[in-house]
Amino acid sequence: MSALAVEDLHVWFDLPGGRELHAVQGIDLALEPGERLGLVGESGCGKTTAILAMMGLLPPSASVAGRVLLAGGDILAGGDRTMRPHRWTDIAMVFQGAMNAFDPVRTVGDQIAEPLERAGLAAGRAARTRTAELLELVGISGERQDRYPHEFSGGMRQRAAIAMALACEPKVLLADEPTTALDVMVQAQILELLVRLTDELGLAMVLVTHDLPLVSQACTHAAVMYAGRIAETGTTRELHHAPLHPYTRMLFEATPDLRGTDAVRSIPGAPPRLDEPTVGCPFQPRCDRAFGPCATTRPPRRTTEPGHLTHCHLEGGA
Amino acid sequence: MRAGWSYVGRRALFALITILVAISLNFVLFRLAPGDRTSALRCQGCTQEFKAQVRAEFGLDRSVPEQYLVYVKETATGNLGRSFVTQQPVLAELWKPVRNTIPMVLLGTLFAISLGLTLGVVSAWRRGTITDRTSVWSGLLLYSLPTQWLALMLIFYAAGPLGLPTSDIADPYLAYENPGWWPELVDRLQHMVLPAATIGLVLFGEYTLITRSSMLEALGEDYILTARAKGLSNWQIVRRHALRNSLLPIVTLIFLSLGFILGGAILIETVFNYPGIGLQLYESVTERDYPMLQGGFLLLTVSVILMNFLADLLYFRLDPRVTE
Amino acid sequence: MSPQELAEAIIPATADTRRRPPVWRFLKGHPQAAIGAAILIVFALIAILGPWIAPYGPREQVGPIFGTPSNPHPLGLDDAGIDILSLLIHGARITLIVGFTGALVAVLVGGTIGIISGYFGGRLDNLLMRVTDYFLVLPDLVLLIVVASIWGRSLRNIIIIIGLVYWTFMARLIRSQVKVVRERAYVKRAQALGASHLRIILRHVLPQVLPLILAQTVLMVALAIFLETAISFLGLGDPNAPSWGRMIENGFDRSAISYGAWWAIVPPGLAVAIVIMAFNMLGTAAEDALNPRLKVSHLLRRHFRMRPLPDKDAAR
Ligand SMILES: Nc1ncnc2c1ncn2[C@@H]1O[C@H](COP(=O)(O)OP(=O)(O)OP(=O)(O)O)[C@@H](O)[C@H]1O
Ligand code: SF4
Ligand SMILES: [Mg+2]
Repeated sequence: MSALAVEDLHVWFDLPGGRELHAVQGIDLALEPGERLGLVGESGCGKTTAILAMMGLLPPSASVAGRVLLAGGDILAGGDRTMRPHRWTDIAMVFQGAMNAFDPVRTVGDQIAEPLERAGLAAGRAARTRTAELLELVGISGERQDRYPHEFSGGMRQRAAIAMALACEPKVLLADEPTTALDVMVQAQILELLVRLTDELGLAMVLVTHDLPLVSQACTHAAVMYAGRIAETGTTRELHHAPLHPYTRMLFEATPDLRGTDAVRSIPGAPPRLDEPTVGCPFQPRCDRAFGPCATTRPPRRTTEPGHLTHCHLEGGA
Repeated sequence: MRAGWSYVGRRALFALITILVAISLNFVLFRLAPGDRTSALRCQGCTQEFKAQVRAEFGLDRSVPEQYLVYVKETATGNLGRSFVTQQPVLAELWKPVRNTIPMVLLGTLFAISLGLTLGVVSAWRRGTITDRTSVWSGLLLYSLPTQWLALMLIFYAAGPLGLPTSDIADPYLAYENPGWWPELVDRLQHMVLPAATIGLVLFGEYTLITRSSMLEALGEDYILTARAKGLSNWQIVRRHALRNSLLPIVTLIFLSLGFILGGAILIETVFNYPGIGLQLYESVTERDYPMLQGGFLLLTVSVILMNFLADLLYFRLDPRVTE
Repeated sequence: MSPQELAEAIIPATADTRRRPPVWRFLKGHPQAAIGAAILIVFALIAILGPWIAPYGPREQVGPIFGTPSNPHPLGLDDAGIDILSLLIHGARITLIVGFTGALVAVLVGGTIGIISGYFGGRLDNLLMRVTDYFLVLPDLVLLIVVASIWGRSLRNIIIIIGLVYWTFMARLIRSQVKVVRERAYVKRAQALGASHLRIILRHVLPQVLPLILAQTVLMVALAIFLETAISFLGLGDPNAPSWGRMIENGFDRSAISYGAWWAIVPPGLAVAIVIMAFNMLGTAAEDALNPRLKVSHLLRRHFRMRPLPDKDAAR
């Protein structure tokens, strides 16, 4: 049974004047324990919104449809009410820009222990011991738990944020661009840490990023999002070497390879607006393989191998 | 142990230098006035001996730089000159009214702080509700009322129905009856109610508005979202994270404004004929008693500077980030 | 929050000033600001048309001392038998002029110092900021009284004094904003292209900080009017200019209270309160709109909603 499964997840935001923005338009994902899924896509394609929907942290202007299953049980069905007991204990999160994830006037340890106390897992001395353990786990000396966030470097704060996410031993970890705003060395360290932790603890992790090489290195699976939908999902290897969707292919082409010889190529054009319905394939205006049905018919969901899915009219791969 | 004591040291040094600058400015400001300390224009009823004494004390026949040094020295030793009106030392003459002002101002400020901060927090928490709108509008309204006019309105419309005195600090006849300390205290408090209410109402509006926006800013921070993700209830989020962060700047602000309030009491004390430092300054203005005016100005400036310093110290205690 | 942080939060990161919502759109979206602006327009008209619409002159005795409000004099008469409504109309002009010019002096002085300080930085910046630090601790009202009693009672002096007291706020605020803008790519580019400092300031820096300066100016006008009434109340107003502040003082001074003549005090105070409130409504709304940190709140009383899945075919 999947650790985390997302089925046909939709998110709409109310806009002023009674309009709506359809930010997430029906995505499906499934992760087994120990799997790492890299979620990639252009800025504004709905990655953060999808993650927040899985955590039930969307603002009141949002409305949601679909299912979010943790070990088979739907936690989204009752909205915030059914979500709350699972938050942080079963599914935890490292935020985009975790630099500011800590309250500046309370000690780091205090904030790591906070969910422990709330969930009744540990309190007082036991909570302190556990906090020290958690910090050691991410490579920070346990004695530093009485320090304040500003006394930590950016990389350390990011590690501490990971420690905080692991406090209640969740089964699923959602990490939203956990390494942006860090220098390259530190980025690599944090990533190594995440890989090690998911392996050791058998965590299922969704890693949101813009960095494709990073996905190739660190993730077992990948999902490419475009305009609120999943363009293609499968193992990292499949997406890299046998992409089914032209957007996936172009994304990998647009990324300078690890040897850094090719110049970066960008994909011309811009994604469609999400506050208006799209006809046909949303990628059609930018697609170099677009043909007859693309402009008029929404591409169906197709599978080649088990777990390798795409939404594209092309049949022989991109 | 925080490596921040140098911060305290530097703030103290800054306060000292500022006081020196204030003294100097005070010297310059009053040198700009026509005539010197003893000229007929400024000290009409003064006797020749009094004038000679003042001249000698402040070296008025010497050059300006020398006069400045003498002035700084005298001020440092607590000699602010003598009042033209009573011919008594200024510092002693100022102390009495200051003693009357402080409890009245404290009463009003405490009222404003307790109510303003509470309402501001509630208002931010219940953003967009009727409670919020009501407190924003009442805050704006109170904040916009001219102080002296609000005081007059209280005299017109509140004093009568509430049976409160509108003038002076105590009932002059009560002292003859020698009724004991309790009735005297009650009498004092009754005289304090309207002036304190005026200060309280004006500040209340201001504090509500500032607290609300400070709280709103805190509630938009990422660590609040983190706290929510960690499963904390709204009340826990407010109590453990939002409150402290949003009240930090407010605390400093309140301390800063305390210094200003003492000077701002001038309008209220004039209306209520309340014998505090404000009324004293007002009378010094009308009587052209420059030494008193100069001394009062210095006293109030120094009190603002000291409050400023206290605020720095408090910030140092409350905010772990203050180290450099 | 430090002014620096505030500035960083407020200033948009692009140099594109055309996309900023025009004033009318701001007013449309913020009823509080719109009401404030409407009130101000009415009072500005009264101030401009004052001499033509006032029924009587500001020094014209038309009836008994403290005559009660009645048909020809709806707001009654003051201690010299002058029509209060007429005084109010004449006073609007003086009060608003003092408010605007006082704020203008503060903005010009503070703005210049703030821009120089923030743009050039370094030692000059240090020096200027030390000076403002010292001015910031002076108790405003007391400074006003001292200076007014030394310089004498005139409208011009009051305006200068108001500017003197408030330029520091402006200087600090603008400095911190300019410091942020200075580091932006397009400013750096302009500098690299050899544009003169004056040109960079006028073309690139000023347009970026202008919205906040305007919002602050509006708030400062309110403060200036407030101070004018205070100075006047303490008997240091211009004896020849019957401002609203002086009307309140006059009523108080001539024992309107013991005459029970509320009409000598209530109307001018109300006028001041309404105008100050209008400025504050406009100013705080603008300030809030410019502060992106007030836009989101992570404390929720309501939650996101669940809705049924869309019909596959309807959604194509
Ligand atoms: N609270 C909101 N109200 C209205 N629209 C929103 C809201 N949050 C996000 N959106 C819109 O939803 C879309 C998806 O945004 P989202 O933040 O999920 O993108 P993203 O893929 O995470 O981008 P990035 O890579 O820049 O973080 C965007 O068009 C955005 O403008
Ligand atoms: S469906 Fe057509 S337009 Fe869309 S990606 Fe596939 S080929 Fe390109
Ligand atoms: Mg995002």
